[in-house]
Amino acid sequence: MPPDVVVETQNLTKVYRDFWGRRKVRALRALDMEIRRGEIFGLLGPNGSGKTTTIKLLLGLLFPTSGKALVFGRDATDVSKNERIGYLPEESYLYRFLNAEETLDFYGRLFDMPAKVRRERAAELITLVGLNKDKRRQLKEYSKGMARRIGLAQAMINDPDFILLDEPTSGLDPIGTREIKDLIIRLKEQGKTVLMSSHLLADVQDVCDRIAILHQGELKELGRVDSLLKLRDETEIRARGLSAEAQAEIRAVIERHQGNVLMMDNPTTTLEDLFLSIVRDSEARPGRRARPEEEK
Amino acid sequence: MVLENEPIPFGDWIAPALLFFLQAAGILALLALVGGYLIAAFRYGPLDGGDRVFRFLKRGLGDLIALSPRRVMALAWLAVQESLRRRVLVGFGVFLLILLFAGWFLDTDSNDPATLYISFVLTATTYLVLLMALFLSVFSLPADIKNKTIHTVVTKPVRPGEIVLGRIIGFSLIGTMLLALMGVFSYFFVVRLLNHTHEVEVASLEPLPGGSSDQRAGRTEPEHSHRHEVTLEADGTGSTNTVNGHWHEIDPVEDGDETRYVLGPPRGMFNARVPEYGELRFRDRSGAAVSRGINVGNEWKYRSFIEGATLAAAVWRFDGITPERYGDSLPIEMTVRVFRSHKGDIEQPIRGTLKLRNPRNIGIESAVEVFQAKDGTVNPIEIPRKLTTPEGRTIDLFEDLAPEGELEIEMQCLDSGQYFGVAKADLYLRARDASFQVNFIKGFLGIWVRMLLVTSLGVMFSTFLSGPVAMLATLAALVLGTSTGFIFDVAAGTVEGGGPAESFIRLVQQKNVTVQLEPGLTTDVVKAADVVFMAVMTSVTSLLPDFGQFDSVEYVAHGYDIPPDLLLVQVLSGVGFVIAMFAIGYFFLRMREVAR
Repeated sequence: MPPDVVVETQNLTKVYRDFWGRRKVRALRALDMEIRRGEIFGLLGPNGSGKTTTIKLLLGLLFPTSGKALVFGRDATDVSKNERIGYLPEESYLYRFLNAEETLDFYGRLFDMPAKVRRERAAELITLVGLNKDKRRQLKEYSKGMARRIGLAQAMINDPDFILLDEPTSGLDPIGTREIKDLIIRLKEQGKTVLMSSHLLADVQDVCDRIAILHQGELKELGRVDSLLKLRDETEIRARGLSAEAQAEIRAVIERHQGNVLMMDNPTTTLEDLFLSIVRDSEARPGRRARPEEEK
Repeated sequence: MVLENEPIPFGDWIAPALLFFLQAAGILALLALVGGYLIAAFRYGPLDGGDRVFRFLKRGLGDLIALSPRRVMALAWLAVQESLRRRVLVGFGVFLLILLFAGWFLDTDSNDPATLYISFVLTATTYLVLLMALFLSVFSLPADIKNKTIHTVVTKPVRPGEIVLGRIIGFSLIGTMLLALMGVFSYFFVVRLLNHTHEVEVASLEPLPGGSSDQRAGRTEPEHSHRHEVTLEADGTGSTNTVNGHWHEIDPVEDGDETRYVLGPPRGMFNARVPEYGELRFRDRSGAAVSRGINVGNEWKYRSFIEGATLAAAVWRFDGITPERYGDSLPIEMTVRVFRSHKGDIEQPIRGTLKLRNPRNIGIESAVEVFQAKDGTVNPIEIPRKLTTPEGRTIDLFEDLAPEGELEIEMQCLDSGQYFGVAKADLYLRARDASFQVNFIKGFLGIWVRMLLVTSLGVMFSTFLSGPVAMLATLAALVLGTSTGFIFDVAAGTVEGGGPAESFIRLVQQKNVTVQLEPGLTTDVVKAADVVFMAVMTSVTSLLPDFGQFDSVEYVAHGYDIPPDLLLVQVLSGVGFVIAMFAIGYFFLRMREVAR
């Protein structure tokens, strides 16, 4: 595994079985992907597409049926990899009878951090996520947004190199969402690697460097966001100072008419349009990758 | 107290116990290894399967080495917090309520109130603490898995073993705290409730018959459903006789022109006797030496019987009989089982004799002392230093009978057709008494070990079962562990009525246990099924803790010091089982996916 690769999956497959060992559902099928150091990687897909299964396999919460998931070059079921990992679950799966300080202290102890370091780190994170006023309240009294914030704080208690965020902006108001997105970008600037899954496509478009789109357990799309959103079969020309006649003849006549070409490029679509078209295409032709890799 | 099983000396216990532990651990580990490999080979092929098993073992070793006390204690602290949130203190409240209303169901007229009250508080504590340990331990991990809070824990560098150990420690800490609270309240409950005094009935005081002219005798006013006979010396001090297991000191108090006699608090009520046991041998009805007495029926195992009005005798041989240890008298206590082959006067005790003998010179022996035995009742006898021989010559206990510190005590039954049942621990020398308070704590230590076992069993089962199923499994283990003797007896065929299948058939056909089942195919099938059932039950029971082994309530309640050897055996057995439960819990938690 190259040193700049944080996550590598090889033919990663997960089949859920019932008590008798009969196959219930194939949640993930032969996933091959890499996440590189320092990038923000988005995992997209409709409900039941395999996003959460992928994250759980990477965390070792589930065992692969076949294939491999490597994190920092170690098997995903190897607990020692967790030293460098932070995880924010989809819901705030925290102990509701603890307050914010106790929560961070508890998770800090799980990283074997000395008391002094835990106290400092907890104070720093509570300030970072804006919970100073509420740090002594039990989590059961927290709103959903506050619970997401303390969840994020616990994910960063160990100053991790790789952070998995499952729906990080879910339940947050627009300001909270903006703050989290800024924080994710700051994390990237600090050289950390982020894997996030989200249903909020605009959020992913705003912060992610690369994305993978899953549908029905299959990888449908993988690549850089800016590249994926480019419409390659269309050309967009933006010009100024053209007469009405000149607008009728594109490109070939601009120079002839002494027009000034300001921009000539492929236009982009929105991530939402791309996502919906991939899902529709996948449903129409199951098992087929949306676009060949070399096109990207 | 009637001992049915003699405590095994620690030195005799440790080596076979350790060997059994290692054997059981080895067999289980081997079974797990082979089973794991077969499953892995079936799923991934023989080579990949082997590789996975190897990696599992390697990582298991790594996990063991990487166990972090800080993480374990963090998880233990979490378990404590969780227990408090789940209103574990309600259990303590229930205990206090039981104590408050204990007077409703405890017999205040009992002739041994200390035994009754101590037995009650220890038993109530045992049930409450074990129930609490059961509920806390079985639901915690399944609830964490269901609520997915476990996801934020296992995605930290937390080993499965730390999760199991943290929970065992956490719930045990809560149990220990509750047990300590219950112990303190129990102690004061018993002591305060049994504390009492009496007024001396001055009008009843008369010169002591046969005593000096200044001595007086009388009685007290009734209190706590009893009264005492009193004996007063010339200076007004004195004491009462022993009633309901206690006596009082009496001091005179001048009150104007009158003298009042004030009784102190009850004495001798809370004991922790330290018995010195001897070696027992028997003689049959003709006086010939035999290894055991006779069998009168169902009580053969530990105790055997000597026939009355014959030469049959039970002879104990003691060491270490010195004046430095015993002073001017030799305190003997005995608990004799009485078996009557004819009713006689059922109100009258059976008579027996005791004779002391120099084992190195059997010609030197004391005259017989007659005693009266009631079945299973402690009978104290104080042997004075100066004794007489059958010929009337005065001899010294230490110089003539036990010059080398060795002494024989011979017991015989006097009444024809009646029998005394005795075992080694039924006659002992009461060399000294230990602290009752310390003994009380030792009794709670036995409960603590059981709480530890239930907690670790519950946590172990909860690593792979849902909460309610884990609770049932732990309860089943508790029931099996409490009935180990019975199950082994059924398996050995010494219990009438057969195993589960045969018992069921008898229930359906309404046949009692002594009736033979009709020969035929059905009976053969039923008996064959029982062989399989009992093989499984015996194997499972062999691996479970024998909960009866940890029960010291009888010792404390009846005023006997819990032998240090027994305490050591209890604690070490408990620790051994906790280690086993930890290992099994680790194995199952490692094997399972905590997410779905």
